Amino acid sequence: MELDIVTPLGRIFKGKIKSATFPGSEGEFGILEGHAPLVTTLKPGVVEIEKEDGEKEVIAINWGYVEVSPEKADVLVDGAVPVTGESEGEIKEAIEKAKKLIKEAADSATLVAAVEARIENAVRSL
Amino acid sequence: MATLKELKQKIASVKNTQKTTRAMKLVSTAKLKRAEEALIMSRVYARKIDEVMKDISAKLAMVKENINIRAFSVIDNPKVVDLIVITADKGLCGGFNIQTIKKSKELLEEFKNRQVQVRLKVIGKKAIEYFKFAGIEMEQKIEGLSAIPDYEKSAEVIEESYQDFVEEKIDNIIIVYNGYVNKLTQEVKVIDLIPIPVDKPEENTFVEVEPDDDYSTILESLVKKYIEYSLYYALLDSLAAEHSARMQAMEAATNNAQEMVRQLTLQFNKARQEAVTRELIEIVTAIEAMKKQ
Repeated sequence: MELDIVTPLGRIFKGKIKSATFPGSEGEFGILEGHAPLVTTLKPGVVEIEKEDGEKEVIAINWGYVEVSPEKADVLVDGAVPVTGESEGEIKEAIEKAKKLIKEAADSATLVAAVEARIENAVRSL
Repeated sequence: MATLKELKQKIASVKNTQKTTRAMKLVSTAKLKRAEEALIMSRVYARKIDEVMKDISAKLAMVKENINIRAFSVIDNPKVVDLIVITADKGLCGGFNIQTIKKSKELLEEFKNRQVQVRLKVIGKKAIEYFKFAGIEMEQKIEGLSAIPDYEKSAEVIEESYQDFVEEKIDNIIIVYNGYVNKLTQEVKVIDLIPIPVDKPEENTFVEVEPDDDYSTILESLVKKYIEYSLYYALLDSLAAEHSARMQAMEAATNNAQEMVRQLTLQFNKARQEAVTRELIEIVTAIEAMKKQ
């Protein structure tokens, strides 16, 4: 299915994916092709994407909406940081940026800690 | 006929002006590049939010029969309208500002004829100056925002209007500005921001909303985001158009100065030749006169 993630400062991700998980405001959920139409808000957290070729991508977001239909998902977020990089140093930098984004958006320390752990975990499994 | 000295001074002065206009053109070109980039980046989001907004509202209109949100209602006879006019803070950009002002004047006239009360909110020094001069009352004047579009600040401006809309103090919000088409063209845009027209979906679609029973909260926050972003986007669009208009105006001014220098140089050379000839005649006559003696 198609996934499109945009922020006010530009497009973060667009492409065909196998699956993705989102930090929905009512709890985390995953989507696959053929998902029932759904609209929900997102809370600060991590979007994990598995692209069609099996490659994984991790994007930290602060707040937004997702609209899911059977063949595509549109994500509108206020801020997003893709946690990727060519080298160790770049990835480290991206993680720091992602953490900062979450810290600014999240209202509880528990949430921040949980998301930070998620980011680190996700990166390790990349 | 101007004297040689006068002509020389004139040429120097026109050349100086040309230097200034050329520098201004270069500055605008650089600024345009940045403004254009910002615009292109945000255009993606603007289009997407537009798309999602229409899609969701259509689907929800199908599912929940009466969406009780004013932003989606049809208001046939608006009584009070918010008109937001965006111009630049600075001039020297051809007809950029005046086009927007003209359009807003037309709208004001139209609303007057329909006996609709207009609350004028003006962003940009140029329009503020104009309306002040014309004695047209303004509800709100904002300077400095059109030169440096700021999301928070623009959200503040529209927030007030939106609140009034929700409380039924106003019935419509319209934005007028001169938008960017490409480097050579600008276009005055009139955006009917709210109420948002709801299209009827073609097929019977079903959509689930989370949080479940609270679809109006989600829609309301989405609408708010949508109009906030629309104003911000209009500001970005207007800024890019301003720089492109100024770039063009300054290019034309530079070319005109060039032509003027050419004409003046021609005049100067003629005048100089004349002086030389006159002097020669004088000398020759003097010599001839002396020979006869």
